[in-house]
Amino acid sequence: MLETTYTWPAVADDYLDLRLGDFLDLSASEPAPGAGSAAAVTIALAASLVTKVARASRESWAEAGGVAAQACELQQRCPTLAREDADAWQLALEALGRGAGAEEGELAVRLDRAADLPLAIAETGADVAGLALLAAERGEGRLRGEAVAAAVLAEAGVRAAAHLVVINLKAGADDERCARAARAERAAASAVSGALEAER
Amino acid sequence: MAVERTSSRLSDPDLVQRCREGSADAWNELVERFSRYVYAICSRGFGLSAADAEDAFQDVFTRVYTRLDTLRDDSAIRPWIAQLTRRVCLDRVARTHEEPVDEIADERLARTTEEIDEAFTVREALADLGEPCHELLDRFFARDESYRTISEQLDLPPGTVASRISRCLAKLRSELEGRNPGESPSGGQR
Repeated sequence: MLETTYTWPAVADDYLDLRLGDFLDLSASEPAPGAGSAAAVTIALAASLVTKVARASRESWAEAGGVAAQACELQQRCPTLAREDADAWQLALEALGRGAGAEEGELAVRLDRAADLPLAIAETGADVAGLALLAAERGEGRLRGEAVAAAVLAEAGVRAAAHLVVINLKAGADDERCARAARAERAAASAVSGALEAER
Repeated sequence: MAVERTSSRLSDPDLVQRCREGSADAWNELVERFSRYVYAICSRGFGLSAADAEDAFQDVFTRVYTRLDTLRDDSAIRPWIAQLTRRVCLDRVARTHEEPVDEIADERLARTTEEIDEAFTVREALADLGEPCHELLDRFFARDESYRTISEQLDLPPGTVASRISRCLAKLRSELEGRNPGESPSGGQR
């Protein structure tokens, strides 16, 4: 299974063009897609669950259509973020590999970019978790478990992505992006608590 | 891409009437209102290069200017401009390609034009929604901003952004249904 014929980066312009099995093989065998892309895909799955719950709740929940539209929009942002994160991570790895041979400032610039993408993924995940909370509170009763699962998945994605922000900014941990990543983590954690509470 | 507002909210028929009366401001507004539409048909619909699309764009608005009096129904200005644009683009393609446009390309073109039309209908409805809905929906759906960014920029409590967007989408849906009674808009809610 690990002996894949894929070579990065010319695997696919868009991960949506890959079958799930191919994506998993790729993830297991190549440097990229890595953890950031995995977080984005996890958040996309969470968003799709929210969309499902909201769509099924239109008769009993006035805002369901609007929540479904927003979840769908957030879901659509994720594949692009996954792809861009993989590209940024690969470029950072190349610069890291060159070590002292890398041009002055090149590594810093690439790590900087490699932190921007996980931050965008974390903030997208926090938004998905927020919508999952609404779906757990207001969605159709029989589907609230799906909404809670969506919140948990979104939070997992947020935590993974926020961790990557901190790692990639290690030299500059006082960077404002670390604080934003932490805010996204807190928001997602709060959404999960609320969703679990709503289900009881 | 951010949605830009048109400079006034004159209805299309009123704008056409002002153009007929010779108002230079009205002509400027007509070009502004439909420029992206024409350009989208040229570039996305017919795949013209930037230079060819620019030439076609000039050609279309020259024809609009010289033939506006032949428009029978002022409320049909947009489909009329679309038809003029298609003719201009087909002439241009015929001059530069030996092969005629085949049926499949024709169908694809029709679909693309339909999508462009739908996008512009939503854009107009968005502009008519007014604030804060126009800005909220534009920031979330067109600029891909997070709830946190929107709440900071518009000074809204973070927890209320999603609900406000939902309410604005409901307004947008009503606005679109008002334009197309009996039809369910595909651009408002999914």
